[in-house]
Amino acid sequence: MPSMTYSRARELTERLEERLTDSIASDLTATRRAVLGGLGLAGGAALAGVGRADGHDAAAAGHDDDSHGNFGAVGEYRDLDFDPHDYLTRFNTGRGESDNVPQDVYEEDGRTVREFTLTAVDTTVTIAPGIEFSAWAYNGQVPGPTLRAVEGDLIRVHFENLGRHAHTIHPHLRNLDPAMDGVPTNGPGVLDTGESYTYEWIAQPAGCHFYHCHSLPLKEHIHRGLYGAIIVDPDPERVAEHPADYCDFHPSQITDDLRADLVAEAETRNHESDANDDVNEMVMVMNGFDTNFDGDNEVYAVNTRAFAYGVGETDGEGNWQAGETKRPIQVDRTRRQRVYLINTIEFDPINSFHTHSQFFDYYDHGTTLYPTHPTVDTIMQCQAQRGIIELDYSTHDPGLYMFHAHQSEFAELGWMSFFEVI
Amino acid sequence: MSQPDGGTTMHRTDRPLGLPRWVAAVLPLVLLALIVGGFFVATPFASLDTGGEPLPDVTVTHTTLTDDETVVLHVTNNGPDPVTISQVLVDDAYWNFDVRGAGGDATLAPLESARVVLPYHWNPGWDLEFALVLSDGATVHHTLVAPSESPGLTTDLLVTMVVIGLFVGVIPVALGMLWFPFLQSMSDRWLHAILAFSAGILVFLAIDAGFEAFELGEQVPGAFEGPALVALGILGSLLAVQSVSAWRQGRADGGDARAQSGLWIAYLVALGIGLHNLAEGLAIGSSFALGRVSLGAFLVIGFMLHNVTEGPAVVAPLAHGERPPLTHFLGLGVLAGAPVILGGWLGSLAYSPTLGALFLAVGVGAILQVVWELRGMIGRRGRAGTALNLVTFLTGLIVMYVTDLFVAL
Repeated sequence: MPSMTYSRARELTERLEERLTDSIASDLTATRRAVLGGLGLAGGAALAGVGRADGHDAAAAGHDDDSHGNFGAVGEYRDLDFDPHDYLTRFNTGRGESDNVPQDVYEEDGRTVREFTLTAVDTTVTIAPGIEFSAWAYNGQVPGPTLRAVEGDLIRVHFENLGRHAHTIHPHLRNLDPAMDGVPTNGPGVLDTGESYTYEWIAQPAGCHFYHCHSLPLKEHIHRGLYGAIIVDPDPERVAEHPADYCDFHPSQITDDLRADLVAEAETRNHESDANDDVNEMVMVMNGFDTNFDGDNEVYAVNTRAFAYGVGETDGEGNWQAGETKRPIQVDRTRRQRVYLINTIEFDPINSFHTHSQFFDYYDHGTTLYPTHPTVDTIMQCQAQRGIIELDYSTHDPGLYMFHAHQSEFAELGWMSFFEVI
Repeated sequence: MSQPDGGTTMHRTDRPLGLPRWVAAVLPLVLLALIVGGFFVATPFASLDTGGEPLPDVTVTHTTLTDDETVVLHVTNNGPDPVTISQVLVDDAYWNFDVRGAGGDATLAPLESARVVLPYHWNPGWDLEFALVLSDGATVHHTLVAPSESPGLTTDLLVTMVVIGLFVGVIPVALGMLWFPFLQSMSDRWLHAILAFSAGILVFLAIDAGFEAFELGEQVPGAFEGPALVALGILGSLLAVQSVSAWRQGRADGGDARAQSGLWIAYLVALGIGLHNLAEGLAIGSSFALGRVSLGAFLVIGFMLHNVTEGPAVVAPLAHGERPPLTHFLGLGVLAGAPVILGGWLGSLAYSPTLGALFLAVGVGAILQVVWELRGMIGRRGRAGTALNLVTFLTGLIVMYVTDLFVAL
C-alpha cells in the first residue's frame, strides 16, 4: 500500500513538473532547471497535502489537539532520486541489484570475486523537505551503495573520481596490503579528478563494516557524504572450523551444541543461505549534515533524510497517516528483524539507537555470532563504530513502535523513526 | 569674449551652445541614461562574473506573541535573490510552521517580508531560539528573550498609552516648568548657567538616543541600511530645524520683534524635547507590543524622573524677558510632553525597528540643533565658555546620567 501511494506521488509530481515547464517553455529568462527548482517547492506543497492539509482539516473540524504544534519537518520530499526505504534493503552482492552500481560476481583462482564500480561525483542530496545539501557522493547517493560479500571473498572495486576534489576509498576491513588502504600516503594515494584505481580487499572479518573517503581534510570528505556500508557475511563452513573466532568462549569451552548454534546463526546471516530468507535485514547509516558550516549538524538522520521513517501526521492518540515520502518502516512481526547499524556522524562524538517498548540483542561490530550486549534497548556508537541489532516483535501488538537516537536533540533534528509492526 | 584659459564668458540670458534652456537641462540626463542603458545591454563586467552565488540575507526584524500557543516571526529578505524558508527549528528541533504574506508559498522575493507563524506552546519568561533553515541549508537565527504575550490592538491599550503619555511626558515637564518664577529672579550670569545646564541635559539625551538609534539600526533589515538611515535622520532633522531657525533669524534681523523673543527658542527647545519624547513613547509602546511589560513599566518610571529635568530646560529661555501668557506654557508643555502619547501608540501598533531607529535619529538631530541654538542665546548676552557655565553643563550631563540609571535598572 505505501509503495502504491509512493508511486502515485511520483507520478503527480512529474505531471506537475511537465505541465509547468511546458507552460513557460517560451519564457527565455527562466531556465528549465530554475523552473524545476521552483516547482520543487510548489510540488512539495502540493504533495504535503497529505501531511499538512490534514492537520488544518483536523483543526477546522474542531480538534485543537495540535494547537501546540508538532515537531517534525514540514512538507514532503520531492526529490525521489534517492529512496531511503529502498536503500534499507538494497544489498549489492555482484548480481546487479542496483542500476547505478555496475557489478559482477565470478570465480577466480578458486575464490569468489565480487566486482563493483564506484564513482565519486559532486551532487546535491535532499536531506529534509526543501533543503538541498551539496554532497560528494559515491555513485551519486548518500550513503554510498551497500556492498555485500561472504567472508573470504575478494571485493574488487573499480574506483573513478569524477569529483572536483581528490578522493579515495578506505575500507574498514582486515586488509593485509597497505597499498589497498585508501589513504593519501599509501598505494595510489589520493586520486585526482579523472583518475581511477582498482582496489582489492579480502572480505574479512565477518561483520558490519563500512568504507569512506580518507582524503584530507578528513572531516569534510566524510561529512559531505563519501561513505557506505560493507557487509561481510560469515561463512558457515569457516564458523564450523573456527568457532572460537565468532564468540567469547575459549576453544576448550566449545561444545558441539554451541558449534551447531554458531553455524546456524551464521547461516541466517549469510545471504547465500536459505536461512537468511527468514530474516528481514536492513541497513541504517546514522549520519548528519552541517548545512551552515558552523561545525554543528542541522540535520540528523538514518540514511540521510530527516524523519524519512517518521509518521506523516499523528494526532497523538494512535491515529496516524503516513506521508507520501515520510512513512514508517513496515515490518512483518513473524520475521526476525536485523539492522546493520553504522555511525558515520561528524561533529558529534557519539550517536545512539534506542527502541521503544522493545529490547534487542546487539553485536558490536557484528564480528561475533553471540551478542555482545544481550537484551538492551539503547546502545551508543562513537564515530565509525557499528554493529548488528536483532529484534523480535513476534509478541508485540501490531502498531507503531518508535526508534530514534536517544540524544533528544538528534531525534528532534531528524533522527526519529517508526517501525510499523503488522 | 575670450578668456586666458580658452573659455568664454557669456551673459546669463544667452542660450548655452545655442540650445534652448530646457534642452541644456535635460541633455546630461539623456546622455547618462544612454550610458547606463549601454552598460545593461553590453554587460561589460560579464567576464568578471565567477558564478559565485550571493549569500542569502534574511532578517528576523521582530516577533509577536498573539497568544500563548503562537509565535510569529516577522521576516524580511534583504538579498538580491529570492529565498525559500524550507524548515524552521525551535530550540534545535524541527517544528511545523506556516509562512503567511509571501504570496501563498514559503519563497520571499527580494525585499519581500512575511510572517512565519509557529504553533508553539511557549513558556513566559523562557528564552526561545529560532532558526529558519533556507533551501540551501543556510540558517537565520533569532533569539526571543523572556517572551510574554503581546497585547494586540485594543481600546484599552490606546487609553493606557494616553495615561502613560500624560504621566511620562506632560506632567513631569509641567512640574519642571514650575521652576519658572525662580528662574525669572536670577541674574544673567546664573541664568546662563541654567541654560548651560539645559544644554548638558540635551547633549546627554542626544548621546543616549544616538547610541540607541544605532543599536536599533542593527536590527533594521540590511537592505534598508540601518546605520545610514540613522545618520540621515540625525543630519536631516538637524538641518531642517536649523533652516527654520535661520529663517527666524532673518526675520529678527529684519526687525520682527516676535522673532527676537526667547519664546521662539523655548518652542524650539520644546520641539526638540518633544521629538525625543516621541522616541521615548516608541520605546515604551514597543516594549509593550513586544510583550515585555515589565520592561515597559521600568521605562515609565525612569522616563518620568528623567523628564522632570526637561521642564526648566524648556522655560529657561523665557526667564529673561516678560512672562508670556500662560497659554504659551501650556503649549510648550504639550509640545514637549504629548509626543510620548503619539510615540506610545505608534510603538505599540506599528512597531518596527526601522521606524524606531528613524524616530530616535530625528529626535537626536532636533536636540543637537537646540543645543546649537542655546549656545547662540548665551553668546549674544555673555560668554558661553565661563567656568560656571561649563560646570553646570557638566552637571546637566551627570544628572541625566544618574536619572538614566533609573531607566536602566
